[in-house]
Amino acid sequence: MSDDKQPVHSVRRPGAGMEAALKSALGAGAMVLAVGYAATLVYLVVRGAAKVASFTTYATPTNGIDNEEIMRFAVAASIFGAAAWGLMALVRRVATHRGRWSGSLNRGSRVAVVGVASVCALLARNHLPRFLISLPSETTAGGGVGPEIFNTIYFAVLSTTITLPIGVGAAVYLARFARSARFVGVVRTALDTLASLPSIVYGLFGFLVFVVEMNAGYSLFAGAFVLALLNLPLVVGITEESLRAVPRELDEASLALGATSIQTTLRVTLPYAWPGILSALVLSVGRVFAESAPLIMTAGTTISRSNAYSLDPFRGGETLAVHLWYVNSAGLSPDRADVSAGTAAVLVVLVGLTNVLAARFARFGGAEGTRVRKATQ
Amino acid sequence: MGDGVVLADSAHPASDRRHPAARPRVAEAVVRALLVACGLFVVGTTAAMLLFLARTGLRGAVEVGTQLLTGDTWKPEAGVYGGLPLIAGTFASASGAVVLGAVPAVLAAVWLTEFSPASIRRGYRRVMEIASAIPSVVYGWLALVYLVPVMETLAHAIRGADAPVTGEGLAASAVLLAIMVAPTVLLLSLDALSRVPADLRDASSALGASTWQTAFRVSVPFAWRGLLVAVFFGFARAAGETMAVQMVIGGARRLPRDLLFSPTTTISAQIVMDMQEARPGTTQNDVLFSMALILLVVSVAVVLVTRMLGRRGAR
Repeated sequence: MSDDKQPVHSVRRPGAGMEAALKSALGAGAMVLAVGYAATLVYLVVRGAAKVASFTTYATPTNGIDNEEIMRFAVAASIFGAAAWGLMALVRRVATHRGRWSGSLNRGSRVAVVGVASVCALLARNHLPRFLISLPSETTAGGGVGPEIFNTIYFAVLSTTITLPIGVGAAVYLARFARSARFVGVVRTALDTLASLPSIVYGLFGFLVFVVEMNAGYSLFAGAFVLALLNLPLVVGITEESLRAVPRELDEASLALGATSIQTTLRVTLPYAWPGILSALVLSVGRVFAESAPLIMTAGTTISRSNAYSLDPFRGGETLAVHLWYVNSAGLSPDRADVSAGTAAVLVVLVGLTNVLAARFARFGGAEGTRVRKATQ
Repeated sequence: MGDGVVLADSAHPASDRRHPAARPRVAEAVVRALLVACGLFVVGTTAAMLLFLARTGLRGAVEVGTQLLTGDTWKPEAGVYGGLPLIAGTFASASGAVVLGAVPAVLAAVWLTEFSPASIRRGYRRVMEIASAIPSVVYGWLALVYLVPVMETLAHAIRGADAPVTGEGLAASAVLLAIMVAPTVLLLSLDALSRVPADLRDASSALGASTWQTAFRVSVPFAWRGLLVAVFFGFARAAGETMAVQMVIGGARRLPRDLLFSPTTTISAQIVMDMQEARPGTTQNDVLFSMALILLVVSVAVVLVTRMLGRRGAR
């Protein structure tokens, strides 16, 4: 490339200008992509914020549904809890910077956050933004997403209670107890297949089994089961990875002390890998929030007035994501643009939270994790 | 159960240690059985899923015959089951998404790992992580509100003011799917590129190659399997996407009159729409499972092939 007679650094390689131009074009494109997504995210939250954050001065009447008071308190507590926690984090940062933060202050601040959140929640539970606590409405303006928020969270809980034992069990089996290479191969192929199925196929399966064969109608349980299946490959994959990342010395030390392999797994390996497992579960919760097609076919698209906040898993009910679709493709309410914006904002905030949480948990794991730091201090 | 010790999985060589004090006990046996049961559950449900779908789907396919693949009108209420519009719609919009979304995403990933200032990398990644987690219905809603009108203007600008075109159609759904799959493809590509050993890059630079040459003659060729996996994954996701596409494709159950700007439908969108009317056990219902079976075969094939590529690439 270089000319013999000249020192290398002064040589201008043919095509260098072209490369620089291409590089900046590529960079510009990539930045446009990132800025576009960031702007979309901000827009989604800002556009829906008015709908989500309009506290009322006069008390919103209750609809007389079971558990409605509890639901209002929970929504209020999480809003004020988040606000108080954010404020406290700010104070802590400033105080730490000035060297005036201590362990007892830290504990006190936690108690204060909980206290402030519950008191505010009690006082303001009837002045919450209508949108967050009222029932959806099919034809008139002013519908809310209270039951949808409840169902979304409830789905996450239900499907996690199915995914957690089965997913972790299968991962422990694959990582530590597998004996037959053939069976391991079969399980892995099954997981790969599950991971590759489009979500609509899960929906059809759930519909066929629960609605048709068992004749149970649309139910939250059917939806949660289908979502649990959908999440299994993800949870098993990440759990197995974090189990394999557990240092061999730990296991061997435990075995050398006379613990059986099961005891070692339960008391040493799993606790060590727990942050990784937790982050997998949080990621799977994010997918529960986001999924819609399988839920439409297993849990339906309706909210029934009588049991909107009921814990009965065998009733039907829609989630926020399903509601967003339903409002736009079948709803007749005149304010559906606003309702959609609010629903999307709540959904984006929920999904963003799960993402931040998952990243946080993942950081706790492994050799740099807090658990290890505590143990080795 | 042997003597209560772990052994002989070739994937975990450390596990064939024996401890003489470890005796099999009832509790141990139970836990072990539970763990095996978890594995069996995974295999069992997968098999059940495939069997259920295959049984119903094949029944539908036998009843309807080859018009399921070649017929150009889908009208279940009249007993006409031409699946071509659905299949064509699915593949056209997914391919469009790959061209418009996955390819730029891979290029952006190359830029980010090879040329970008190190300070922006974490933030960039974080934005894309959240963007990839945004529910697809949210993208669908945004597209319905903002993209479809733009497409309509564009359609009239291209085809003439009074051409029979609409904003809904393959163009809108391809752009929507491109926006949807790009973050995921980008993240997978970043992972693939991050596995390129630093030694290779250093060696290339030491030989006098520019960063551009290093990127496109060393890093990309090294990571190409991973990049291919990312793109195929994007295709599979785009082909399987349901609700978002259903919102912007228009829902006309025939081949599009105008290639880009005329309503048509996809397999998954049509399944969701028809499922609400079709009574279980009827041909109308079985045929939907046949369509799902086509989707399933394609995506399983795509993903299994790419996984094989990925595993071989990882070695």
